[in-house]
Amino acid sequence: MSAGPPVDPRGPRFAAAITTVVLAIVLITSWWPLLAVQTVIFAVGAFIGLRYAPYSLLYRSLVAPRLSPTSEREDAAPLRFAQLVGFVFGLAGTVGYAADLMLLGVIATAFALFAAFLNAAFDFCLGCEVYLLLQRFAPATGNQA
Amino acid sequence: MGWTGLWIVLGTLLAGTLAGALLRWREGRIRPTRDEPAPTAELPTQVTEVLVAAPAVTLVQISTTFCSPCRHAHARLAALAESTPELHHVDLDVTHQPEVAHQLGVRRTPTTIAFDANGAELLRVSGVPVNDELLSALQPHFANR
Repeated sequence: MSAGPPVDPRGPRFAAAITTVVLAIVLITSWWPLLAVQTVIFAVGAFIGLRYAPYSLLYRSLVAPRLSPTSEREDAAPLRFAQLVGFVFGLAGTVGYAADLMLLGVIATAFALFAAFLNAAFDFCLGCEVYLLLQRFAPATGNQA
Repeated sequence: MGWTGLWIVLGTLLAGTLAGALLRWREGRIRPTRDEPAPTAELPTQVTEVLVAAPAVTLVQISTTFCSPCRHAHARLAALAESTPELHHVDLDVTHQPEVAHQLGVRRTPTTIAFDANGAELLRVSGVPVNDELLSALQPHFANR
């Protein structure tokens, strides 16, 4: 399965910045429908393609035209895997909040926030780099993508 | 949740900043192998079969499909090996053979391990290596021909 064409590396970072803000708002307000929306956004990036991910559309239509073009390209597979990791945490968090399992909701959302923040602030893709570690705990993810 | 949520957000961002700073600091750092492991015996066959004869040093790069910095590391190391006759570069994709990474004690990718012809580990670098530093760290091992 092809992960899709390579992308402008600033796009995912922009997406991570919005994700950071969204997840912070979720934690502060406990308003889980917002987390549900974010989870759907993760799902689009992971399962359908980065091209259709809402933040990516926002980047291409609003931000990219204002920046100088770059020839730098980043492979899509790691990014989609990271969206998948985000989706798993987002889903766990949404279920936690919705089912009144506050601890699950808060912990899952905080993990997602941690990863999104590392990506936005340090350009470090946690989900991508600890793929090996994740695989050791959850061998099933080894068959993805 | 209100205040509690806010504290969780601040705590998570603080943890993210510390983790990010630590990762920045570790990025590309060369870690000499102090206790020489028993040559070849414990190495995975995937590694032993790519080692080349003395006087060369083999840089074994551990990568996965889901790792963008692995591509950058690959490009740099390939160029370095191209211009340095004593160096040989092999990129091992362990996406579907995580046991290789496990045996080598590699938890994040890219990690590059330099082996001499006997399979003794000389040093390792996690993240994208800086070629000049890597070359000067390896120079003494070239002299042992």
